[in-house]
Amino acid sequence: MCRRVLSKCSLNTSRLGAVPTALGSLSRCPTPLWVQTLSLTPSLTLPCPSSMPSPRVLSLSPESRAQRLPLRSPREGAAGRHDASPQPALLGAEQTQGPQPPLQHLHLHLHLPPPALPMPGAGQRHPRPPSWRRSAQARLRLCPPIVGTEAFPGPCCAEPGAAVMAAALRRLLRAGGRRGAALVAAAAACGPGPQTLRLIYTTTAAWKKNVAASGPEKYTEAFIKKQIEEFNLGKRHLANMMGEDPETFTQEDIDRAIAYLFPSGLFDKRARPMMKHPTEIFPEQRKIQWGEDGRPFHFLFYTGKQSYYSLMHDTYEKLLNVQKHQDQLAAQDLPPQKEKKNLVGSRWLTKTELEEMLLEKLSDDDYSRFIQLLQKLVMMPCGNIEENYIKKFSREISAQLQKVVIEPLKYDEQGVAFSTGEGRRKTSRATVAVYDNGTGKITVNGIDVLHYFPVLQDREQLLFPFQFLDRVGKHDMVCTVSGGGRSSQAGAIRLASAKALRSFVTEKEVEFMRQAGLLTVDPRVKERKKPGQEGARRKFTWKKR
Amino acid sequence: VQVLRWSEVERYQAIWSLTVCILPSQANHTEHHEGRHYSIPLEEVKAVFPHGLPYRFQQQVKTFNEACLMVRKPALELFTYLRNSNFAHPAVRYVIYGERGTGKTMTLCHVVHYCAKQGWLVLHIPDAHLWVKNCKELMQSSYKKERLDQPLQASTWLKNFKTSNEHFLKEIKTQQKYVWGKRESTEQGRPLGEVVEQGLARVRSASDAVGVVLKEIKQQCHLGSFRVLVAVDGVNALWGRTTLKKEDKSPVSPEELTLVYNLRKMMMNNWNGGAIVTTLSQTGSLFKPSSAYLPHELLGKEGFDALDPFVPVLVPNYSQREFESCYHYYLHRKWLQHEQARTEAGKEELRFLSGSNPQQLERLAGPL
Repeated sequence: MCRRVLSKCSLNTSRLGAVPTALGSLSRCPTPLWVQTLSLTPSLTLPCPSSMPSPRVLSLSPESRAQRLPLRSPREGAAGRHDASPQPALLGAEQTQGPQPPLQHLHLHLHLPPPALPMPGAGQRHPRPPSWRRSAQARLRLCPPIVGTEAFPGPCCAEPGAAVMAAALRRLLRAGGRRGAALVAAAAACGPGPQTLRLIYTTTAAWKKNVAASGPEKYTEAFIKKQIEEFNLGKRHLANMMGEDPETFTQEDIDRAIAYLFPSGLFDKRARPMMKHPTEIFPEQRKIQWGEDGRPFHFLFYTGKQSYYSLMHDTYEKLLNVQKHQDQLAAQDLPPQKEKKNLVGSRWLTKTELEEMLLEKLSDDDYSRFIQLLQKLVMMPCGNIEENYIKKFSREISAQLQKVVIEPLKYDEQGVAFSTGEGRRKTSRATVAVYDNGTGKITVNGIDVLHYFPVLQDREQLLFPFQFLDRVGKHDMVCTVSGGGRSSQAGAIRLASAKALRSFVTEKEVEFMRQAGLLTVDPRVKERKKPGQEGARRKFTWKKR
Repeated sequence: VQVLRWSEVERYQAIWSLTVCILPSQANHTEHHEGRHYSIPLEEVKAVFPHGLPYRFQQQVKTFNEACLMVRKPALELFTYLRNSNFAHPAVRYVIYGERGTGKTMTLCHVVHYCAKQGWLVLHIPDAHLWVKNCKELMQSSYKKERLDQPLQASTWLKNFKTSNEHFLKEIKTQQKYVWGKRESTEQGRPLGEVVEQGLARVRSASDAVGVVLKEIKQQCHLGSFRVLVAVDGVNALWGRTTLKKEDKSPVSPEELTLVYNLRKMMMNNWNGGAIVTTLSQTGSLFKPSSAYLPHELLGKEGFDALDPFVPVLVPNYSQREFESCYHYYLHRKWLQHEQARTEAGKEELRFLSGSNPQQLERLAGPL
C-alpha cells in the first residue's frame, strides 16, 4: 500500500513538477485571473502584495482535482477510485468553495491563507465531514498524500524523503485511532523534516509559518537557476527593445525601461511593475541540510538553530583566541595593544539583519546574547586581532544631520547689507531679501504688505520672526511668493524671512529661533481623499436603513 | 490701573506736551502744530458736524467725551491755499485723495471746521455715495419729467444743513419766486430758511428745495458778503454708476437724479467767492476695484473732465511723528489697556501691524 502511495506521490510530483514555467511563477503571486493570460517575457514578475510570494497556491486543475483527497464513506471502496467527488476534501479555507466550478480549461489558482493564520481551535471547530471519524489507516489508504502545495517538491527531494516519511507514517498509523490524525499532523509538522509527503489534514501546529526555518527550499536550485537564465534572456530582449547595447545594460537601465514601458500611477513603489534579478525577488533559503541518507550535514542540526549556535561557537572561539593572545603578551611582558576600534560611527546588526544573514529565526534573547558576546570581544584589549570578523557584524551609521550652513551677509550697490532666504508652506514658495537699515517696509510681489495681506493674521505671521529677534522696525523686506492661499503664502514668507535673518544674528539666537519653530518647514499638507469617504476624514452620511 | 513710577510719569508728561498737546480749537494752525491733536468742544461738534464725521470717529467722541482731531500736513496745505485764494477768481476745486483709511474724510472735516470757524457758509455733503445707492423711494420729479427725486435723502440733508448754517438761512434772500405746487410757493426776497422749511415740510419737493438752495447760494456768493465752501465727500459718486433702477428695471444714470444734477452744477467752476473741497472715496463707491485710489481711476473719464482742472491733495499714511502722536493720544486716553501695548516693543508691533495706516491702527487699538 505504501508503495502505491509512493508511486502516486511521485506521479503527482512529476506531473506538478512540470509546472515551473512563467505561469507557474506567476501562480506564486496572487494575480487575478485575467493577468495570467498576459505572459510576457518570462522573467517578468508582476508584483506581489507581499514581498514574499504567496506561499500556498493550490491548483484546482482537473487532473490535480482528481488526485485530491476526496472524502468518501468506506462503503465506496478502496483507494483507486478517485472520481471528482462533489465534496472534495479541500483544506479548511476552501470549504466554502463548494462544488467544483465547471471551468475545466483554466487553471484556477487559488490563494490559501498563509499558514500563519491560526486555525480555528486545534482543529476542533474545523468543519469536518462526518467521515473523519474513520480510522486513520483507512484514511491514509484512501488519500493520496500529495497535492501541489507551496512546498513545490522538486523531484529530487521526493525520493529520499519519501522513504523516511513512509516509515514514520507506518509507525504512526500503528498507533491508530483518533490520535492518528494528530500524530500524523505532528509528523508532518515535525520541524524541518522532508516535506515531500504531506497530509492535508494537519493541525494548527503545522500551519505556523517559520520563514527561515521552514525547511528546505520552496524553490529548488534548478528553479532559481532557470529564473536567472530567463532573467538574463529577458534583459537582453529588453535591451534590444529599447535599442540599447545588451552587454552594458545595467539594473538602472532595466528599471528605467520598465518604468517607461509600464507607466504606473501607483504610489507605493513596491507595487509597481519591476524586473529584478531573481536573487532579489526570491528570498534566500536554506538548502537541504541533510544528505541522501537523511543524515544532516551540520553537527548542530538537531539543536534546531544550527547557524546561530555555530555562530556563537565561532565567536567564542575568537574570544578565546584573543585571550590566548593577551596571555601570550602578558607572558612576554609586553603591554597589550591599546588601539581600540572606533565604535562611534557604527552600529551592530539588528535582529532582522542577523536573521537574514543566518536564514534562521532568532529569539530576542538569542540576539541579545550574541551582541553581548560581540561587545565582550570588542572590549578586550587585544580585540583588534579579530577586527575583520567583527566588521562582518557592524554597520556604519550614515552621516548625521548635515550642518546647516548659514550664508554670510551680502552687500548691494548702495552698500546696504542684505540676505536672502527661501521658504515654503503647503504649496506656496517664497523668496525673500531682507535689507538692513530699514524702516519696516515690506513689499510682496511689488505690492505693499497692507494691500497684499489685508487680514491681520497674515501680517502677524510676517511680524513674528522680527519680533522674536526684537528687530521689528529695523529691516526692509522684498518678497516674491507664488502658489497656495493667503495663509500658506504668509507662512512661506515667514519661514523665508526667518532663514534670511539667520545671517544677521548670532548663533545662539539662531538656536533660539530653531527651538521656537521659526526655521522648521511646516510638514502639514492636505490629506488625501479616500474612496468610500466624502473627504479625508469625513464619512458619508450614515443612514440607518 | 497702571502704577507708574515718578520718572515715568514725568516722561509721559514730557512726551505728552511735545506731541499730543491738546490745543485749543483755534483756527490758526501752522506747521509747528503738525502732529498734535486739537479738540473741538462738543457743542461746536453738534453745530458744525450734524453729519459728516465718520461713524467710528463719532463713537470715539462719545467714548472719550471729547473730539480730538490730529493736525496733519494735507489739512495745513489746504488752509494755506484757502487763506491765499483770491475770491474774485472762479472757485478752485481741491480733490483730496489717498488710499483707504488714510484720513481723507477727517481732513475734510478739519477743513469744514476751519471754514465754519471763519464764518463761511458750508455746504457739506457727507457722502455722495448715499445718494446713488440704496434709495427706497424714487419719485418722478415734478419739475422735469425725466429726472428722479429722492425725497428721503434730500430731507435729511436739508435738516442737517439747517442745523449747521442757521444764521445764513436768515440772511440769504431768494431772488425769484418758486412755485412748489398748486398752493405753495415762495415769494422773491424771502429768507432761504423758508425754502428749507418748505422742503422739510413737503417732502415730495425736498429735492427741488435742495436744488433751489444750491442755485441761490451760487448766484449770491459772488457778491462777497459770505464765502461758500462746498465740501463733498465721495465726489466720485457723482460721475460713476448707480445701483438704482427705474420701475421698468432700467438702470438710472446719475444725471437723472435731481440731487446729483444740481450738485454737479455746483461743482463747476463758473462761480466765484468760495472754494470746492472734495474727497474721493473708494469705500462706498460702486463698481470700482478696491485697489483704486487715484483720481483718474475713481472719477472716470467723465468725472475727471468735469473736475479738471483741480488741485490734488494726497493724504498719506501716518509719518513717524504722527504715529507716535496718535499712539500717545491713545495711551493718554487710557484706550490701550494691554500692558505690552505700553512698551516700546508693543509700539513697534502696532506700527508694523497697522502699517502706519490710521484706520488700521484705530481698529487694532480697539480691542487692546
